[in-house]
Amino acid sequence: MSRVDRPGRLDRRTFLRRGLKPLPLAVLATAAAGCRSMQFARVMAPGEDGMIGSHQAGQETFTPLVNDAVAKLLARHVESAVQQVAYVEGAEPLPPPTKRICFVGVENKSAEEIGDFKEQIYQAIDARILESQVFQSVNRRFVDAGLRDTRLRPDQLLIPEHMRAFTAHMDQQGQPIDYLLYATITSGTTQQNRDYQRDYVLTLELVEVGTGSYDKQSAELSKGYHHSRLGRWRAAHSSSP
Amino acid sequence: MISRAGLLRGCCIAAALFASGCATHMVRLQPVRTAFQRGDITEADRLIDHEIETGSEDNLLLLDRAMVALADGRPADAERMLRQARDGLDRVEEESQAETAWSMLADDQVRAYAGEDYEKVLVRAMLALTNLAQDGDDAEAYSLQVIDAQRRIVAAAAQPDGTNPKAAYQQVALAPYLRGILREETHRDYDDAARNFRLVTAWQPDFRQGPFHLARATGGTHSRPGHGVVHVFALVGHGPFKAEAEEVPTSTSLLIADQILSTQLRSTLPPTIAPIKLPRIVAAPGAAGTVQVGVGDWAAGQTETITSVSQMAIRQQEAMLPWQLARAVARRTVKKGTVFGVKQGLGMQDGLPSVALDLAGVAWEASEAADTRCWSLLPDRIQVLRLELPAGTHTLALRPLAHDGQPLGEPVARSVTVCDGRNSYLLARVGDAGFIGGPIASSP
Repeated sequence: MSRVDRPGRLDRRTFLRRGLKPLPLAVLATAAAGCRSMQFARVMAPGEDGMIGSHQAGQETFTPLVNDAVAKLLARHVESAVQQVAYVEGAEPLPPPTKRICFVGVENKSAEEIGDFKEQIYQAIDARILESQVFQSVNRRFVDAGLRDTRLRPDQLLIPEHMRAFTAHMDQQGQPIDYLLYATITSGTTQQNRDYQRDYVLTLELVEVGTGSYDKQSAELSKGYHHSRLGRWRAAHSSSP
Repeated sequence: MISRAGLLRGCCIAAALFASGCATHMVRLQPVRTAFQRGDITEADRLIDHEIETGSEDNLLLLDRAMVALADGRPADAERMLRQARDGLDRVEEESQAETAWSMLADDQVRAYAGEDYEKVLVRAMLALTNLAQDGDDAEAYSLQVIDAQRRIVAAAAQPDGTNPKAAYQQVALAPYLRGILREETHRDYDDAARNFRLVTAWQPDFRQGPFHLARATGGTHSRPGHGVVHVFALVGHGPFKAEAEEVPTSTSLLIADQILSTQLRSTLPPTIAPIKLPRIVAAPGAAGTVQVGVGDWAAGQTETITSVSQMAIRQQEAMLPWQLARAVARRTVKKGTVFGVKQGLGMQDGLPSVALDLAGVAWEASEAADTRCWSLLPDRIQVLRLELPAGTHTLALRPLAHDGQPLGEPVARSVTVCDGRNSYLLARVGDAGFIGGPIASSP
């Protein structure tokens, strides 16, 4: 029996003919249909959910971290400021003098390059401290000039001798400081096959220049990165009863 | 209704039109390259002007023109052109289905040119350099863009099976280097600087200054009190270009496949007589080797390669070659299929009309030319030298050297103002006859 006589079996030649014939039509149809898409943008409404970084931390991570860490730190110091108010009979209670903070900078010790977020994190923390009126922050330009003039690295300022030199220099510039503030971003990664969880921690360290004593406040946020929608769904529902 | 003879005539005319073709981009741009490398900026600019008037490849010509403007001491003009070209390339980056389909019927030259991956990264790096040669206000943003572009290109090539053909790409170490020196200058973000210099040492292990930069960012300071830093950037030699290469083994295999299919189909297919042509990146670095820098009587050092553009371009092309070849084979399949479809439609099996259609098919295939479009005035290497100098005004003596260390052209003296704790920048372009134009010093 020849191949063409066998029912239900596609002859190789017929297969090739059928395969080749519509090829140019398919190409022409695609050519007629497809155009290059353009890029569009829109202004997001206040309070609208922002985008979530699919490969690394973005605003969804840093905004809550900054809000949480700064709020906790300030709350604690508001309480201590209230306790320090002196009461003199017959006189108006005087608020304690506002402490001056020198916000040295944000250090990125996480596994990710944070790029342009670093400046934004600095500005967000600085602005919140200034708004709180618990502390008065030294203008960043003075801080930068101080570091440049003294050629001290931010991490060297905690050495007593360097701290004294820096404080004295800032005093000379008319910018006395009571505290140094450091912000550090760290991360920890837990791998589960191709998915992974990354825990981000923003730590604020407040060092009193006079005594060297320090206060510390952290905020933490965990984020899961998944290679498929199914992986994300599974992770979201695995903890539910 | 169209007659068989009319259709046949139409096919032949179309094939003849396709076959007429035109000179490839690289052939047309060769005189520009030659004029520029011998230091004749005016002639290079005039030739580019002429090409622009013919209305071909605006973005690429803008890139070349920016390099001419930079050599001519007009960094602001160069930056404007680079920005315009970058935006133009970005606009056509997303693949158009229509263009892709048409490229299957003609060749890759009908697709809008979005730039090779190394060009997309280098346009941003050049933007950073041109900006640093002025006030440096946007250099930080450009340096971030270079790193981001590099990351995006690799991430976008990830395949569903987890492989990534671009993962093996040689990365542009100039990108983290720029970021490192800018972050270091803040006297605050040494952690960023160290992170970037670590990338430099990993991506360009033979860059001897790398470990010193890393050590300084990890435990030192930007400069001693009362001192500043001059960064000398040298764009050295002829950059890579694309030449048309014939893929003989693939063409032979296709010819055999044609014969097998012709026997199977009992109808001839146009034989693969015209070889498959692909663009191959060619390095022709030229005579220039490095730049020797002196301050007064002090021989301060020589610039050292941080990014070898030609090497990187060749490696990137090697990584993507199987994809380019696959597209060329697919194009031939579509063309053969089209001829076969016409024959089937007209009921041709053999005879003179069938032979005529096969000949038209061969001519159609022969009309393909390799897409040799590229940024033709890139340098072969980007080199750097860091000098720490006391604050004040210094005259730097720059002398171009050939590969064998012999002087190349005349030395040039350039005055640079160094500010306490700050960076200053000096940018020079070196060709076969020494400096192309004059080195540009930033104004702090």
